[in-house]
Amino acid sequence: MKAVAQSPEQMQEEAESASLCSMFAGEETFGIDTAKIREVLGRRELERVPMAPAFVAGVVPYRGDVLTTVSFRALLGLPENADVGCVLVLDDDGGHERFGLVIDAVGGVVTVQRNMLEANPCTLDAKCKWLFDGAYKMENGLLIQLDPQKLRPSRLAETGMFRQGGAGEGL
Amino acid sequence: MVTADKSPRTNDLPTIPDKRDVDDLTQEFIAESQDGLDRMERCLTELEARPHDSQQLVGEIFRAVHTIKGTTGFLGFNRLEKLAHAGEHLLGSLREGRLAVTEELISGLLRLLDGLRAILALIEETGGEGTRASDEDSVLITDLARLNGDDLETARPSAPVISTKVAEEADPAMSPAEAMTPAAATQGTGSSNGDKTLRIDVEVLNRMMNLVGELVLTRNQMLQSGVEATNFPELARRLDSVTADLRETVMQARMQPVGNLFGKFPRMVRDLARTCGRDVRIEFSGQETGLDKSLLEAIKDPLTHAVRNSVDHGIESPADRVLAGKPAEGCLRLRAFHQSGSVVIEVADDGAGIAIERVLAKAIERGLVTTEQAKEMTEREALQLIFLPGFSTAAAVTTVSGRGVGMDVVRANVEKVGGSVELESKVGFGTTLRLRVPLTLAIVPALVVRSGGQSFALPQTTLVELVYIPARDKEKVVERVGASEVYRLRERLLPMVWLDRLLGLKSAAEAHGFYMAVLEAEGCRYGLVVEDLLAPEEIVVKPLSAVLREIGLFSGATVLGNGTLALILDIAATAARAGVKPVMEEEEQIVEIQREEASFLVFEDRARERTALPLGVVERIESVPINRVEYANGRALLQYRGELLQLRDDGHVLDGMEMLEDENASVTILICGDPETKAARMGIVVRRVLDVSDGTVLEKDTTNGEMDLALVKDRLTTIFRGFAGEVGKNWREVA
Repeated sequence: MKAVAQSPEQMQEEAESASLCSMFAGEETFGIDTAKIREVLGRRELERVPMAPAFVAGVVPYRGDVLTTVSFRALLGLPENADVGCVLVLDDDGGHERFGLVIDAVGGVVTVQRNMLEANPCTLDAKCKWLFDGAYKMENGLLIQLDPQKLRPSRLAETGMFRQGGAGEGL
Repeated sequence: MVTADKSPRTNDLPTIPDKRDVDDLTQEFIAESQDGLDRMERCLTELEARPHDSQQLVGEIFRAVHTIKGTTGFLGFNRLEKLAHAGEHLLGSLREGRLAVTEELISGLLRLLDGLRAILALIEETGGEGTRASDEDSVLITDLARLNGDDLETARPSAPVISTKVAEEADPAMSPAEAMTPAAATQGTGSSNGDKTLRIDVEVLNRMMNLVGELVLTRNQMLQSGVEATNFPELARRLDSVTADLRETVMQARMQPVGNLFGKFPRMVRDLARTCGRDVRIEFSGQETGLDKSLLEAIKDPLTHAVRNSVDHGIESPADRVLAGKPAEGCLRLRAFHQSGSVVIEVADDGAGIAIERVLAKAIERGLVTTEQAKEMTEREALQLIFLPGFSTAAAVTTVSGRGVGMDVVRANVEKVGGSVELESKVGFGTTLRLRVPLTLAIVPALVVRSGGQSFALPQTTLVELVYIPARDKEKVVERVGASEVYRLRERLLPMVWLDRLLGLKSAAEAHGFYMAVLEAEGCRYGLVVEDLLAPEEIVVKPLSAVLREIGLFSGATVLGNGTLALILDIAATAARAGVKPVMEEEEQIVEIQREEASFLVFEDRARERTALPLGVVERIESVPINRVEYANGRALLQYRGELLQLRDDGHVLDGMEMLEDENASVTILICGDPETKAARMGIVVRRVLDVSDGTVLEKDTTNGEMDLALVKDRLTTIFRGFAGEVGKNWREVA
């Protein structure tokens, strides 16, 4: 993905713009603030954790720690797809909880105008309302913004919405 | 920046940067003062024991209080300063020899210590010393002043005597509560503080830095040279040694002397002894033994509990002790030492010991065992009952112990860190409790197993044995009681737990067979069925995230040698999940029997008679060419490893061989040595070795003609006579 439509005026309003890393899961495109992404690990062999909540994709070694990863497909209620998978390492602001996010593939960095963010439609179901932060209208479709804070495994466990897994998931 | 946790002081938000500076200073002051007070505590208990050579001890106590007083004035903690001042004043008199060391004085000083600690704890918690408790202070301060001045000036007229009495009466009433609460409070904060900070020798830190530097250099070289380079193996070796060194140094940095933990006990024992009306002396050894900091924290509570138990239940009252013919003063011994890769901490008292009948009666009363079971129990087994939940033998519930939470918690806590607990007791002579803990928590030996296509690590400490069950035997050996499956292990039914089923994993297609790991944790014993065993490995334990910890079945994860992850199974939690209940330990009995029996090496000499030798004395079985046997003065000798061995040939095997006149023939010789002396080695010529087996020595009586006989595998066997003591004699004759 190349950066989209950057005019000189927009460049001056740096504070107003944000750079997102685009990524794909299922049919949709998502974006996470690049500042929150610590590393893109790419495809990794995940060790499953039996009896774990459905949204946990497994654990992966990362810099001397054991990283818990969240399966974004499971969060969306999509069936598992063994052919795709890319692990992102996300840090929350305080650095309290580092975790991994498994998505289908990573695109590139896109710069967007913050004021272009469109709120979630009111017809969205509760799970997606929790996950999505709104959408940016891009030339080639919508880019849904995600908040890493809300994807933290402990937060997801607290909400209780994702314990049982989505439509195609479940042990 | 101040973290959100420190919000109690939100009212002075604007001065945050300043406050931070003060915080650092205060933190340092608190740490220093706590050290000083710890020292003071030790000195005080020592002073009470040896009131005569008090000079140095009093000097030390004085310095501790004086330092606190000086620093508080500087930091502006008035309340603390006032109290410290009163204490210093009293100590000053003591130092100048104007006061004698009395029990009352020591008690007063200990209360001063508690008062100072309480204020320090308050400062650490809230950042301020508080004012609300100033009344307590003034009571304490007048108390101290009375101890100092009044007694001296009025030369003990009747009034102070009364006040002393009052104080004494009030003292025991107050002291349990008082002694517990401030001590508990300081212990609590001490541990929270202690968890976060660690004092480390700069030397060790420098060494670590050096090693890290070395590590970086090695990495750089590796990156530059690449895998194909000729010096790659050498670099890999270097990396290996640097890693090993670094690991060792870091371990060393984490090691803390056990003495740090022991230091808390003299005071505790003193207070307890007074509350319970005991006379107890405490002795230490091995204080310098190092133990990982986290482990030290982990065994603090179990050890405290054990010490309390010893003082409260173990050691009798002075009157009872004198009646039993023991010195009135009981002795509590705390010992720490290394033993085969673990640290053993021993709490031994010379008290009444544990009365087995009482244990059994209690166990029956509590419904832990039936009367029949109790009758059959050995002493050892009965002692193990103490570790069952809900067991306490204290006749009365005291403030100190006997609330029914007892040894089971001690055992659970110690087992949680991979340790074990042993108990030994002799009625009338005392009780010894041994806590055995590994040197470190971070690296544990484990067995890696596979189940449902995944790897799991089982800590070796919980592993008792492994059983392989071939697929064709499955139907035969796996039996059912209702819905649960059991395995007959040495004629006892062992519950079986299928790991893949328990974890909801897809079980693999029926293979050649499966393995059962017999595990034991917190008194639960069960067989965990897994598909395959991988190598035993020393694994580095990595913590799991909160979400995964919540599952409760895994105590961590580890990266295996091949780079994949394996989850570490929490054996006790798995047992609980599978519904395995703690069972009585009967294994001990088996061990006991084996000890009574002896292992024998059974052989045959020419007379075709089964003869046995205790296995302990047989060092080697050698096959020696017949021509190497030499003769001197009519005796057969063998040159064996630079030593001349006398050969005994009671069965005339050698004669028989000579008659064959076969140069290439060889003869079997048992090389025997007395394990005690090692000097008297000898060789025994035998026809052939038959077996190594356990047997029972029969008692000599007229029916077997005063012969030394043993039953080995239900067959009569003669015991080879004339070893041990006689050998030395024979040998000397020859020489």
